[in-house]
Amino acid sequence: MSSETGAEYAFLCPACGESLEVNDSMKQALIQKGCIICGTTVTDGAFTRISSPDSP
Amino acid sequence: MPLDQETELAKGETDSLLSHHETGVLALGRENEPYAIPISYGYDADERRFYLRLVSTPQSEKRQFLASSPRARLVVYEEDDPIYRSVVARGTLEEIPEDEITVEHIEQYGEAKRPLFEIWGESRRDLDVRLYVFDPVKLSGRRIEIDRENNRS
Repeated sequence: MSSETGAEYAFLCPACGESLEVNDSMKQALIQKGCIICGTTVTDGAFTRISSPDSP
Repeated sequence: MPLDQETELAKGETDSLLSHHETGVLALGRENEPYAIPISYGYDADERRFYLRLVSTPQSEKRQFLASSPRARLVVYEEDDPIYRSVVARGTLEEIPEDEITVEHIEQYGEAKRPLFEIWGESRRDLDVRLYVFDPVKLSGRRIEIDRENNRS
């Protein structure tokens, strides 16, 4: 996923270093279910906003 | 002559066994070469699919096998003497590219167990962690009850 396809956040897992670009639904799922790669619980701090959801 | 009884597991029994276990042996075939490894998995009983995180190092034999889209079998079994149950799933592993990860994938892998047998001792930088879905074309289970009394005679 890229900002051109709806990515709003850059996710960086503090445990395994996995990085992904995600939208808000994926962010919420990662906070609820943990890192998709290592399963570690992640918080809001693992996400950096890269675009506004209203961006064209 | 053993008087063991072998029966096929019903769909519900097969799904139950796969759901309450979290590890199995994944066998991969490439040309005439076999490769088998213990793995951890998550199982979606509704879709009858397995979700796997597979870890390898770039030059490893495992990576070479995985890169070849191998035919695969996954074996899960349990022993509860005198009853033995096993499930064999047959199909092809499908890798999920990172740019195709969806909310549903995150939820499915959240249910999957961590890769218990995988190598996490090395630096994450040196490891290649990839996500796979195993959607079996055939899933079959068996239950064998050993008749110890009659097997002794």
